[in-house]
Amino acid sequence: MGPLFQLSSRRSLCTSSRWRVKQVTTSNFQESLEEIKTHISASDFVAVSMGTTGSPTAPSWLRPLPFDTDQTAYSKARRSAHRFQLLHFAVCPFSVAHPNHLIIAHPYNFVLFPRDELKTGMPAYSFSCQTSLLASMARQGYDFNACVYNGISYMSRAQESVARIRHGTALSSHRGMNTSTVFTVADTVFVERIRSRIKHWRNSCKSSDTNTKTSKHEELINSLKNIVLGSEQFRSRPCMTIDVCSERQVQLILEMLVDYSDDLLPLPVPTQNGTIHSVRIVLANSKEDKDLLERELQNFEEEESKNIRGFREVIDLISASQKPVISHNCLNDCTLIHSKFIAPLPHELDEFVSSFRAVFPKVLDVNYLMKKHGSMKKVTNIPSAISYLNNHFFAPVDLEIPDQATVKEGKIHGLDALRLSYLFMKLCSILKISPNVTESGNKHLTPELEDLTNVFHPFSALIKDSFNEDVGLWTNNTKKVSCEHLVFLWGFKFGMTAGMLKSVLRSAHDTFSGEFDVKLVDRSCAIVVFWQPGLSKEFMEIMNSEETTGGIKNLVSDGLRVTGYETYSTICRLGLWELDLAESLERASESSCRGIESKCERKSCEIHWYNDNVINLDDL
Amino acid sequence: MKPHKLPSPALARVLTRALSSAASTTTTTQCGSAFPSKTVTTANFEPSLAELRRHVRSSYFVAIDLEMTGVTSAPWRESFGFDRSDVRYLKVRDSASKFAVVQFGVCPFRWDPSKHSFVANPYEHSFPIIGTLILVTQMFATEMGVISVDIAVSISLAMRRGYVVNGYNFYVFPRQELAGLGPCDEFLCQSTSMDFLAKYQFDFNVCIREGISYLSREQEREALRNICKFKDVRDIPLVNIADILFTARMKQKFSEWRDGLLHEQNQEDQIQEISKDSKFKVIFFEMHPALRLDGFTRHQLNLIQMVIRKHFEDLSYVSVNSETSGSQQLVVYTDSKDELDLLMKKVKEENHKEAEMKVQVAVGFRHVIDLLSSEQKLIVGHNCFLDLAHVYSKFIGPLPAAPEEFAVSVNKCFPHIIDTKILLNTNSMLQNRMKRSRKSLASAFTSFCPQIAAGSRNNDLVSLSHVKVDIEVGDSRSSSWNPGGKHEAGYDAFMTGCIFAQLCSDLGIDFKLHESSKQLALNEILQKYVNRLYLSWMHGDIIDLNTGNKVADSSPSHSLKKRYPKILFENIVIIWGFPSKLKASEVRECISKVFGPNSVISVFHLDATAVFVQFSKTELVSDFLLVKDTLERGDGAILVLHPLAKLLEGGDTCAANYDTYKEICGSPLSEGLFADQAKAVGIKWKTKLTESMVALGDEEHENPSVQRNVNTAMQNVERTRQNTIDQLRNDPSRGHVSSFDIEDSSSVAEANL
Repeated sequence: MGPLFQLSSRRSLCTSSRWRVKQVTTSNFQESLEEIKTHISASDFVAVSMGTTGSPTAPSWLRPLPFDTDQTAYSKARRSAHRFQLLHFAVCPFSVAHPNHLIIAHPYNFVLFPRDELKTGMPAYSFSCQTSLLASMARQGYDFNACVYNGISYMSRAQESVARIRHGTALSSHRGMNTSTVFTVADTVFVERIRSRIKHWRNSCKSSDTNTKTSKHEELINSLKNIVLGSEQFRSRPCMTIDVCSERQVQLILEMLVDYSDDLLPLPVPTQNGTIHSVRIVLANSKEDKDLLERELQNFEEEESKNIRGFREVIDLISASQKPVISHNCLNDCTLIHSKFIAPLPHELDEFVSSFRAVFPKVLDVNYLMKKHGSMKKVTNIPSAISYLNNHFFAPVDLEIPDQATVKEGKIHGLDALRLSYLFMKLCSILKISPNVTESGNKHLTPELEDLTNVFHPFSALIKDSFNEDVGLWTNNTKKVSCEHLVFLWGFKFGMTAGMLKSVLRSAHDTFSGEFDVKLVDRSCAIVVFWQPGLSKEFMEIMNSEETTGGIKNLVSDGLRVTGYETYSTICRLGLWELDLAESLERASESSCRGIESKCERKSCEIHWYNDNVINLDDL
Repeated sequence: MKPHKLPSPALARVLTRALSSAASTTTTTQCGSAFPSKTVTTANFEPSLAELRRHVRSSYFVAIDLEMTGVTSAPWRESFGFDRSDVRYLKVRDSASKFAVVQFGVCPFRWDPSKHSFVANPYEHSFPIIGTLILVTQMFATEMGVISVDIAVSISLAMRRGYVVNGYNFYVFPRQELAGLGPCDEFLCQSTSMDFLAKYQFDFNVCIREGISYLSREQEREALRNICKFKDVRDIPLVNIADILFTARMKQKFSEWRDGLLHEQNQEDQIQEISKDSKFKVIFFEMHPALRLDGFTRHQLNLIQMVIRKHFEDLSYVSVNSETSGSQQLVVYTDSKDELDLLMKKVKEENHKEAEMKVQVAVGFRHVIDLLSSEQKLIVGHNCFLDLAHVYSKFIGPLPAAPEEFAVSVNKCFPHIIDTKILLNTNSMLQNRMKRSRKSLASAFTSFCPQIAAGSRNNDLVSLSHVKVDIEVGDSRSSSWNPGGKHEAGYDAFMTGCIFAQLCSDLGIDFKLHESSKQLALNEILQKYVNRLYLSWMHGDIIDLNTGNKVADSSPSHSLKKRYPKILFENIVIIWGFPSKLKASEVRECISKVFGPNSVISVFHLDATAVFVQFSKTELVSDFLLVKDTLERGDGAILVLHPLAKLLEGGDTCAANYDTYKEICGSPLSEGLFADQAKAVGIKWKTKLTESMVALGDEEHENPSVQRNVNTAMQNVERTRQNTIDQLRNDPSRGHVSSFDIEDSSSVAEANL
């Protein structure tokens, strides 16, 4: 960054409308990669934010709901991460200067597209798009053509290794295999056969090489012979292909060739599904020529893998820098990053957390920070959070964007990462947390921040808060409920509201004479919480017994069904995702998966009940 | 028809030259203005629809084509040689219900009768000459391709007429215009299809921003049903103090206002009192004094509604939706019950009308489909089974479970459909002409309509036999534009229509005799082709939409039949979940060791996790499943020694007959790998035994059947060894090395035993 840019840099205080973000597409990706590399290594934090092709929203029950446990919330995030793809990824490396609350930020917005570069069904054979989300992005002026035409491709680490094998660039992986195993008789026979084949072939190649001064006639015969015998060439060098039946045979051939000759280069030829069916043996002119060929292939491989990695290069940079990552919705973003850039998501939350932390050791959730500050529990999106803080608190934060001048006007997509860094600074200042990174050999976060890292639950703020200091703020509308007290009801008349359902239930049976709450989860299903212990069990027994009478019998005859919270856990875990929750519950109860699932331990089976969490169908 | 005299060789030579020069222009002219179709988005949908309505009414036939966001949702859902026609339908159903239609091309073709049109050389054939044409064509077809046609047509040069086409290119996007109604909020994109669209410069921005939305017939019915439901306000228990205070205040305000009204108009100040509050506005509604409520929350409005109902007989709460003033909440005073009823009836009707209007707008693009359906025009498509499935699932209702039901339902909506692919492949004459080229739409277009494909600027070189097509955009006509390039639905529909027009002409269908589209559809010559669609192109499975029955491919030489020999589906076992490294040859080997070297006809990889194994005999299917089941139930030690061990390694290998495959295909889920799909569908068993097989298995349970199997396996190993050489000879793909491997592994198996 030259002094010119420093001079022309602008300090915008809270007018996010003037912020500009550098847009990166395939055309300027390589140069931006170099740039961001230096910015990341110089930064204290990296804020990230991403746009996908969809995310479940109300009224779908597939969105994270307040009554989700850690595991069910993770299962839902896993589903979304698997289904949807990324359209843009905003990265904003920034450094902070605490005393005067100054941020120096370098915001980038990478336009992505899940292009199937290698025609191997990766990163995704097919993916889902959410119509309403695309339509609202379109309203905000999102350029889908730029995205599809010029979006940067990407691929996860796991996919890359599969692609390398399939694409025949797994050259190096076959190197250095140790000759540990014992040779069987069959192995020896095999090796000898191959050795003699190669010997004959090599001799014939060499002889035709030396007899270069043959007559035209012979040349013709030779070339005809080549055609007839199907001799092949690889990068203008003669080669032969040996079919193999197992990895073991590949290894045998490779080992044999090491001792055999200096000018033969073996190249395993992979098939579509990654297994190796044959080995191509290339005859080089000399040892130097062989090394040259090898280098050539390695360079080719590197180029290739660079193309394959695409945007993941940036993710790898962030990961390698080990800088703390700032995100807005940690669970969502991290599951996305894991599934798109690392590997497919594991089934269990614990596995995910440990796998993710191995790549990104520290993630800070700004949403969680905001919840830490009690008054902001309802502010969910970043711009409104910023304006809320600006209106309610005096906490000036200076934002400096050194590259601002180089960015063209009108490009305002992917602002969220920049906003996040601003919001983060602001929150730190309000919460009196020092964002400074202590530089004692390794970079460390202040202990306050350290405590706030790696929280992977969208509503987990409440768990801590309601236990610790802020009880007063929450108790009037949040109660801790054991999952045992919750039941799901479905099969009621379509279009019923929670209130209607509640009064129907109250008049139907005595178990509802006590205190209970009903909330609609989606249009097909409701959740009931019994505030008195034991009643949920009693109610389920009554519903399933044969001697039901009166109102309840009537309701059951009309199709009312009930199930416990564990069925809900099961459908999330098994991924029985139907559009309506009722359908999923029905499927889970009718199939035999209950038996399987009962053995899985029920951990963290407590959720938090909001009284203001009514999903009003009239509003939809 | 009698064979006519062949033209002289000299004439043929001249024409050869003419043709070759025409052919050369075909390849050179590839630039210029784009194909002039009308792009329709939300911005110009209404007027375009009206225009289209006119054009469709006067058309002879309408060609359609669709662009989708994808075709197959998972690799194992792609079309295979092992697809039975019902499975093929399920795959199409999956595709049509998951992917979105983003562009819809509609091209009404109208026969131009006007003599004084400025269209150059209108063109017409009369029947006897056409007869000549066909015969000549057949005779010359193999040697000189299309030239012979020119000869015959040159005779009828005097009276040429042509078609006028209006190309419409609709951008469609499944946006939900009415909350909670209409297309599903999610659709699938196939990465390669998106690339394809991008390659042809598809404008995604226009599609998403301005694409026309739609409601299917079923969704429309549901929307209308919802309007009819009168929204009843439930009693809200007044739990919190704020609500109680609010209702009390409202009650007081309304009674003051009402009392003010009742005490004649002299007490103006009373009315003034309430009108000071900005939330109430005194107005007259349908000649009744009324208060308009502004700035209340929904909850508060509900409370007000409750207050009015509970405490005031002569006041009523009215919610009006009108186009001009939007949604209004009113409290209206009426003198009598009759008056109130009358008012309420009127309001209800108006609201209803308004809501209906909204639904009509939301119906959107489906108006085009309704138009095509109600006009009963002949619909022309190219390989259009998937297209029709899309049309049905998007605009009519969910696709039925079986192809037969689908056929019947489609037939009700579109009584006359013709597929140019059927025409090209089942007519021997046309097939001869297509022989050398591939049967894709574009290649059919260039071989049947070279003059249009070339852009028809060199009119003198255009062979005279070809149907003349003019394109009308607005009021102007043109016969010169840039061909192809742009792969858009409108252009594809246009190509399809041109091919059809040309084929009709080649088949000798006289348009002059057919005054309407209906008659064209009932044309004798076309009868063999109308309403027949390829269900499975590989097997030549054709479905007759009139009856829902499958029709055997009547084509004299279905070349594909040779490539895909008849498959006996009852002989097929599907195996999945085996170790992923296992190759087809290894699967064959495993099974052959147990059931004999000739037991397996073919092994086909569905994807990395699943294979089809086709046995030589039907019994072998149940034998195999039984052996597998017994092995898995039995002692692990025996399993290890068994030749099938390799296949069953890992313990997740499942197997079932073909019907299970169908069942799994019918599931709405689409996991990437077949084994995952089977798991997601909820298959818990490892081996699917049919009832008869289970009975058999129980009988044998007393016998040491496993032992028997091992014995047979041993015998088979012996046999395998003897047959190794044979097998190798039969399998040319194996080289020396792999032959060694087979010997090797069989000896290993022997050693193990």
